[in-house]
Amino acid sequence: MKNFDYARPQDVQSAAAALGKAKGSRPKGGGTDLITLMKSGVLTPPLVVDLASIPGLSGVSRLETGHFRVGATTTIAEVAEHPELARVARVLTDAAATTATPLVRNRGTVGGNLCQRPRCWYFRNLDYVCSKKGGQTCYAAEGENKYHAIFENVTCNIVHPSNLAPALWALDATIHVAGPTGEKSIPVADFWVRPEEDISTENVLEAGEVITGVSFAPEGASTGSAYHEVREKQSYDWALVNAAVRLDFEGEVVKEARIVVSAVAPIPLRLEACEKILKGQKFSDALAEAAGKAASGGATPLRDNAYKVHLIEKCVKNTILDAARRAKVRSGEPR
Amino acid sequence: MNADSVTGSFVLNGERKTVAYPEHHTLLEVLREECGLPGTKHGCELGECGTCTVLIEGVPVLSCLVLARQCEDQAIETVEGLESAEGLHPLQVAFADLGAAQCGYCTPGILVTAKALLAANASPTSAEIDEALSGNLCRCTGYRKITEAVDLAAARLRGEDRALPSLSELCGHPHGDHSHE
Repeated sequence: MKNFDYARPQDVQSAAAALGKAKGSRPKGGGTDLITLMKSGVLTPPLVVDLASIPGLSGVSRLETGHFRVGATTTIAEVAEHPELARVARVLTDAAATTATPLVRNRGTVGGNLCQRPRCWYFRNLDYVCSKKGGQTCYAAEGENKYHAIFENVTCNIVHPSNLAPALWALDATIHVAGPTGEKSIPVADFWVRPEEDISTENVLEAGEVITGVSFAPEGASTGSAYHEVREKQSYDWALVNAAVRLDFEGEVVKEARIVVSAVAPIPLRLEACEKILKGQKFSDALAEAAGKAASGGATPLRDNAYKVHLIEKCVKNTILDAARRAKVRSGEPR
Repeated sequence: MNADSVTGSFVLNGERKTVAYPEHHTLLEVLREECGLPGTKHGCELGECGTCTVLIEGVPVLSCLVLARQCEDQAIETVEGLESAEGLHPLQVAFADLGAAQCGYCTPGILVTAKALLAANASPTSAEIDEALSGNLCRCTGYRKITEAVDLAAARLRGEDRALPSLSELCGHPHGDHSHE
């Protein structure tokens, strides 16, 4: 790992100011992704700004609005094991609990999970100057692309690696950001940047901006949510496909549906076509099956990843069934 | 000391330690090179294998992904800290009794991860042991004996007098029938 300067500011404003000064500086949460990128030489920041010791940036709290806020440096383990979050945001605690390994979850943070870089082996290998690293070629387009995108894979074939991202989108969460120009709140739907807009990044954060936390409304009395991912190994693996679903019911009718998938495109994708199939309909297994089938619409698989087309259909269907089952259990509970 | 060295101080295996080290080094590098404790191993360097696991404030983490600079004033425990004046830690004894190490390279990380598990849960099920150790890879694939050793150590720590399996049981001859040999 190349040498770098290290700063440990005590407030977000100082962190933003430090990051804005030296080009290429990086904020650090747990470091579980950043340090690996620095070891491989893909990132060589002159300055690492550690957010880990900033007071107030970690922990789960309930706001006056009734919404829940999860601080950016809250560990993934803390989210996964939070009993109240499991009641009001099950999709999020499920996603957190499946992340990597217990050792990574003990250190990795919510903000870092959202900002981690893609796992594409061409991107992570210095020998390939791919288009994401400033070159002219996406080597995955014609190369080894088993784990790459099946949607929106025109310019760059990465898949977004964050598993908390689809879960937070299913909750219609807001991402809170602080930077040199002050604070702002970004709906999670607007946080992502497609390769065609700017191939060098995956999100809208500018130099000097850091995530301070995420917030979302708790699930209602007739809501069920679930997160599923399919992967090759039980431990320490990234999803081949994943799905996050939130369903709000009125009796047996689906009043509102939010279906977000990831690991299939350069950014997480909300599947409105699937949501439309469910919305306003009386729920049934057949309806979940039909919505699952619609999940693969428009897919453009590569040489080695056509299997993902089948997987995403099944994953979306099973996640819908799980969310509906949980809504049913919850509405049967005494209030 | 080169220009990039910094001096840091933390509590290592119960004793205050002040060391000078290159500013950008990981905790793993500082433990092995500056602190002279080679029990914690270099493995994948990417957070995949778990052999570099140490406890920071009692929590098992990957020392290859932790900057030493982050550890100021924190309590760090490595495999060298398991042994006490009374002798080896019950986990170490159980691993030795059951032969729960083959090449042994993953063992230091597994021992400290298991110690944190038993501190939080004195009576883990096999499934809970497997889950807690799911970030620690064993290339020799000796997982079954590792799970059994953690279970045995937990029983002994609870004060249970559990008999060791006989040699024939350990060798896969449940009735002690060696007549075919």
